[in-house]
Amino acid sequence: MLSRREFFGAPALIGLWRKTDRKITGSFANDSFPLGHRLRDRAPFRAPARQLRVPIVIVGGGMAGLNAAWHLDKRGFRDFVILEMERQAGGNSRWGENEISKFPWAAHYVPVPAKGESLARELFEELGLFRDGKWDERILCFDPQERLFINGHWQEGIEPEDGATQRDRAQYRRFMEKISEFRATGQFTVPMEGGAKPSPLDRVSMADWLAQQGFDSVPLRWYINYACRDDYGALSKDTSAWAGVQYFASREPEEKGPLTWPEGNGWIAARLIEKFRRYLRTGDAVYRVAPSGNTIRVLTEQTEYIADAVIWAAPTFLASYIIEGAPRAEGFQYSPWLTANLTLDRIPGQKNDEPAWDNVIYDSPTLGYVNATHMNLATHIDRTVWTFYWSLAEHAPNDARRLLLAQDWNYWKEAILNDLARAHPDIRQCVAHMDIMRIGHATARPAPGFIFSEERTRWLKPLGNIFFANSDLSGFSIFEEAQYRGVEAAKRALHAVSRG
Amino acid sequence: MSIALFLSVFLIAACGLIYELIAGTLASYLLGDTVFQFSTIIGCYLFAMGIGSYLSRFLHRGLVARFVSIELMVGVVGGFSSSILFLAFAYTEAFRFILYAVVILVGTLVGLEIPLLMRILKERFQFRELVSHVLTFDYLGALGASLLFPILLVPKLGLVRSALVFGIFNVVVALWSTYVFREQIGRSQVLRAGAIVVLALLGTGMIFANRISSAADNSLYADEVIFSRNTPYQRIVLTKWKDDLRLFLNSHLQFSSRDEYRYHEALVHPGLAALPGAHRVLVLGGGDGLAVREILKYPSVESVTLVDLDPEMTHLFSTHPVMSALNLHSLTNPRVHVINADALRWLDDNTEQYDFIVADFPDPTSYALGKLFTTTFYRLAAKHLASGGLIVVQSTSPLFARQSYWCIVESVKQAGLRVYPYHVYVPSFGEWGYVIGSFAPYEPPKELPTGLRFLSTTNVAELFIFPVDMQPVPAEPNRLNDQVLVRYYEQEWKDVAH
Repeated sequence: MLSRREFFGAPALIGLWRKTDRKITGSFANDSFPLGHRLRDRAPFRAPARQLRVPIVIVGGGMAGLNAAWHLDKRGFRDFVILEMERQAGGNSRWGENEISKFPWAAHYVPVPAKGESLARELFEELGLFRDGKWDERILCFDPQERLFINGHWQEGIEPEDGATQRDRAQYRRFMEKISEFRATGQFTVPMEGGAKPSPLDRVSMADWLAQQGFDSVPLRWYINYACRDDYGALSKDTSAWAGVQYFASREPEEKGPLTWPEGNGWIAARLIEKFRRYLRTGDAVYRVAPSGNTIRVLTEQTEYIADAVIWAAPTFLASYIIEGAPRAEGFQYSPWLTANLTLDRIPGQKNDEPAWDNVIYDSPTLGYVNATHMNLATHIDRTVWTFYWSLAEHAPNDARRLLLAQDWNYWKEAILNDLARAHPDIRQCVAHMDIMRIGHATARPAPGFIFSEERTRWLKPLGNIFFANSDLSGFSIFEEAQYRGVEAAKRALHAVSRG
Repeated sequence: MSIALFLSVFLIAACGLIYELIAGTLASYLLGDTVFQFSTIIGCYLFAMGIGSYLSRFLHRGLVARFVSIELMVGVVGGFSSSILFLAFAYTEAFRFILYAVVILVGTLVGLEIPLLMRILKERFQFRELVSHVLTFDYLGALGASLLFPILLVPKLGLVRSALVFGIFNVVVALWSTYVFREQIGRSQVLRAGAIVVLALLGTGMIFANRISSAADNSLYADEVIFSRNTPYQRIVLTKWKDDLRLFLNSHLQFSSRDEYRYHEALVHPGLAALPGAHRVLVLGGGDGLAVREILKYPSVESVTLVDLDPEMTHLFSTHPVMSALNLHSLTNPRVHVINADALRWLDDNTEQYDFIVADFPDPTSYALGKLFTTTFYRLAAKHLASGGLIVVQSTSPLFARQSYWCIVESVKQAGLRVYPYHVYVPSFGEWGYVIGSFAPYEPPKELPTGLRFLSTTNVAELFIFPVDMQPVPAEPNRLNDQVLVRYYEQEWKDVAH
């Protein structure tokens, strides 16, 4: 006779029980679409109870809004507020923290600003990162910066070297030569407005341009497609060739970087938030902006602000939903992103491979992960946080947004673990917790034709005394563009206010 | 009788499979890349069996005697296969060649067994029955062996003994055959004597099995391992041969007790003896307590702070009788404070000042260790220097890794310190380099503590003279965002190894 225990033990013995992985906790984090959808659907909002007169209102507390504030403050102008709909300001530079490390939610680095990038240098100098012509060595990304999992192992650097043929290498070289030629024209600058001139490049996609130029190397095309997915959230076939070239030609680093922090660009955001805490109203969503006479009424559920000028640092596509009389932002496309922060209480097994800061898997639809403890001075790390990036570039933006909302946390968790398992077979034994953030309109997409389109350039002009400041005005969302647009709008708003 | 015959088939089949599994397991264990090793070994083995089967057609007469001799040969080669492979790995460069040679030899012999046996038995059984029975027992033997191998043999007997035990089975089958087929063989006495000799050989092998199986581990560490532990930070191994103690961290030699006095006297005294008023000393790394032993020779030193990452390391050198005798119980001296922390983090988190700082880290074999040789590290360390203080840095070999050495010197210089490079000959390491960093000009000491075995007031200044083959070469400083040192070091030691 089998005893009860033996009876129940038997299936386990022959392995009939489901293979058990450790339990991974977590949830979606920072969901903002419910509020976004209410604005889109023009749902009713509560009327504000009080009225406040403030000469300049900044709408949006991301990098553009915070840098607009930075400029106003530098000019000695302190009569302004920053209105942020989220509970945490920072926009794409938001960050989080757990018992192991701080970590980014989205933007996680800034390329080392070249000599010509005076705005970025000015800010970083002020924040103590640049002294006597030298960058603080604590924030220049530590070695090894990047690695790529290809052909079953990790190689240093993201440009595929492993398995690249003579022909591939010759094309890499020719591509870089082409890029140098573009750089020499002076038309590819950071910020882009400094050099950009209408160009036939903008009329074709990066993929088509590569084909026209005879670049057919598979690893080269993978690498450029990766760059487009990483910076623009779009495949190279959906990216303007001008923007694709801009990615490579606009920078000539004089120092090995980039600048990075455990919490990514959250470090910059946190310094600015700290500085402007008095002016910042978080969780205060603007639902209506109504020009009336010489003033502009800016309405939130708490307060009605009566302003002389408004700096619109929120994404431009929101304008037509909130600003009375604003046209639809035609042509503006945004890629949805999914990011996740994974808490690892064990580092996946690796004998000879040291983890890099940025870790990419070849031929994966995702963008890989960034290691939050990489910038730690310690030589021995046994727990860490990885920030996983996925611009759902292979889908049309609307389809990707639908997919993002349709699937539950478990679906995305499994998708992320399956992707990582290609390079880390033991990943499921290492991850204890995973929070996932869904961003419906994360980065502006520079589709072919958009950069030099009338649709984009019309928004560079103000609407009365409403000045547009989001990085999407440049056609793509990076820190330097946000800073430039924020500062430019602040200058003009200041001019309008002093004139009035 | 016929059952007993087929049992022999079962046994030889099992033996054959065991040798194949042993070769595959050993190769994966020693070389890694399991899929590759098993695939190629199974392939070669089956192919060699095919060669054996083919060769069987050329054997005409005296089949039983041939069969018995083949069993004895399989017994010897198969039985000693894992011993041969372990020793080949430990003592020769030809492991792969020997591995495949053994696999092909055993495979060929095993391939001969079944065809011969079937021809021997064909008189006694109908062909239909014979094929069915022989192959049935052949496959059953394979099943038995493949189950026994992972469940019982590897965990209980180990690879060396398992092979020997199955070698003995081959000999038993041989002996049994000389009895069963006694009418068909003439020289059964000779064969039996041969079997006894092989049996004795295998038996002797069993007695020495332990020594053979540890040979592979010891080949890395040529001497007897007296302590070995994997801590969360590193693998600590201590070996002893006669009166020579050696410490290995992650397989890299840290010291030999025969000449460590040269290394540690040269590490500490050129700097510390030049600071007559030194009270406070900081040692970063150096959890073996040997640098601290030298530091404690100065009565003026009031306190020594030792910061080492690994608590097991400092515990071992505080409590192990042999180890604490070697460092003269330095780590339990009341003047010494042991802190287990990550050195770079600790420097960043603390503000105390020291007259003398010793950076005694393992060589920069990884980016993680390389952080301890960066401009950032030296800048931070310099902040902890009291006025007039000195730092000394263990800086790898200026002879074998010349650019690495001068890279470290350059990195100390970039931290705003004057640099004073010097070197010493340590027999177990070769030429070894150090660099002293200081804000004020430094001069080698005119006086030294008494009782030193290597340094004297006459030779201390000579350490700062570099022969032509170790003189400066251009090198970039090692920076956190560009660890050139790790790349120089990897390249230079690779060149030395070839």
